[in-house]
Amino acid sequence: MKDRRPVQLPAKLSPTKGQAAPTQGIWSGTISFSLVAIPVQVVRAIEPGRVSFRMLHNKDYSPLLRRMFCPKDGKMVSPDETIRGYEIGPDKYILVTDEELESVSPERSRTIEIVEFIDMKAVDSIYYDHPYYLVPAKGGEKAYRLLAEVMRRTDKAGLAKFVMGEREYLVAVKSMAGALSLITLHYSDEILPDTEILPGADIAPKEGPAASAEKDRMKKIIQGMTARFNPDRYANERREKIVKLLEKKMKKGATVEAPQVEEEEGEGPADLVAALEESMRKLKKGGR
Amino acid sequence: MAGRAIWKGNIHFGVVDFPVKLHTAVRDERIPFHLLHKRDHVKLKQQMVCASEKTPVPAEEQTRGFELEEGKYILVDPEELEQAEPEDSRVIEVHEFVKSGQIDPIYHERAYYLEPDSPSKGYNVLAESLREMDVEGICTWTMRKRSYLGALQIVGKILRLNTLRYADEVIAAQSLDLPDIALSEKELKIGSDLINQLTAPFEPQKFQNEHQKKLQHLIDQKARGEKIAILRPRRLRPTKSDKLLEALEASLKKVA
Repeated sequence: MKDRRPVQLPAKLSPTKGQAAPTQGIWSGTISFSLVAIPVQVVRAIEPGRVSFRMLHNKDYSPLLRRMFCPKDGKMVSPDETIRGYEIGPDKYILVTDEELESVSPERSRTIEIVEFIDMKAVDSIYYDHPYYLVPAKGGEKAYRLLAEVMRRTDKAGLAKFVMGEREYLVAVKSMAGALSLITLHYSDEILPDTEILPGADIAPKEGPAASAEKDRMKKIIQGMTARFNPDRYANERREKIVKLLEKKMKKGATVEAPQVEEEEGEGPADLVAALEESMRKLKKGGR
Repeated sequence: MAGRAIWKGNIHFGVVDFPVKLHTAVRDERIPFHLLHKRDHVKLKQQMVCASEKTPVPAEEQTRGFELEEGKYILVDPEELEQAEPEDSRVIEVHEFVKSGQIDPIYHERAYYLEPDSPSKGYNVLAESLREMDVEGICTWTMRKRSYLGALQIVGKILRLNTLRYADEVIAAQSLDLPDIALSEKELKIGSDLINQLTAPFEPQKFQNEHQKKLQHLIDQKARGEKIAILRPRRLRPTKSDKLLEALEASLKKVA
């Protein structure tokens, strides 16, 4: 979406404005529990908060597009001319097609099967990885609504495994403000043991009145600083500085115009880091 | 074994101040793939291409612009961006404490273990106080030219720092614009009973990444030149809205 108000920065930079709803599904299939099956899509729940820039050609300010490039031919390669390869030696690869990838766990490639429900509070936050939302596909609205409402009432989350791209995820599906959020979880063997953090430094707490007086003082300080969690209170300092910089430059009228070009669909933000992370994520998640 | 210390800082609030080291707490495991040219299997690289000329553009000809409206940009050079980078500091400033469990998982980004950097009583006194009061600290710090928001927690004997996403990075559930559909008390009751029946304790060790092993097996099979049988993913037939109650009742009967 382009914002066309000429005299101010686009509304998306306003610190009070939340992120726009995601429009593109990144996975589509069915979520099931027992004999109930609900058609859904997985959509993003996170939008990089960084101010996103486009990379431009400094000759004429044409936007730059991130493309896959064949160093041998010196040419761009379209997504349908690419294939996944697993490196087994210098310039030696095992090729894996999309169909073969789906064959690895076909039962989980299109189904998020909730195998049990858990108390979400019992999940150590160290397991949380990346959040998404589920949205109902046509015909699934009622059952979706039921699952969200019943999990809210019972304060439970569904545990499931499913395959998205090249990875199989262990996920918790929970109710959030009337919607279903899907939190991917780390596998337990990805959690590093903490037992070796403290050797030597494991200072046993001192006993006695002096130690307990110290703890009482600490608790009093904490008590005085206790509030409800409000994430809106904390803003990204760098983002605020960049917005100020842009406002200043705009007042000076420091803008340039690019020549008209036929733009290809689906080009995301071009902040170098954001774009790189995005493409790495796509690559990891099996997109192109 | 826990990862090497990646950064050192000081936990600070009021008169409390003690040094800690951050350790990675989670390691990602995945099978790495490269993107190849289908025709000749040459490894592809990412490249910035000029939209008008359709040719690769070297780094020295690239510049950053913020798009005001279509085709209209404010140019920003690297020096200006550098000035926007936060000052590095070693202070992990705790701003407030919140009851544990108030922070929705959607905000959680990554966990780090905190090791006391020098024998300090502060570490243990804080750890015990957090545990007994069942609270976590909301803090900010700057690490490698990035400002972080985080939650300071105690789990077991070890303090942890979880990085949190900023509020403006999270898409609000309300923006999904989901339809509000009326449900009968009966549907809700049977649904709740079913969920309670299917509830189990959270035991993450039960779940292995079997897919990873199968994928490795597939790669090995292909390396030996074996043929891969293609299996189609199965799509479940969605439960129809007017059959929902029936499906819930049948489910409950199955598990009860």
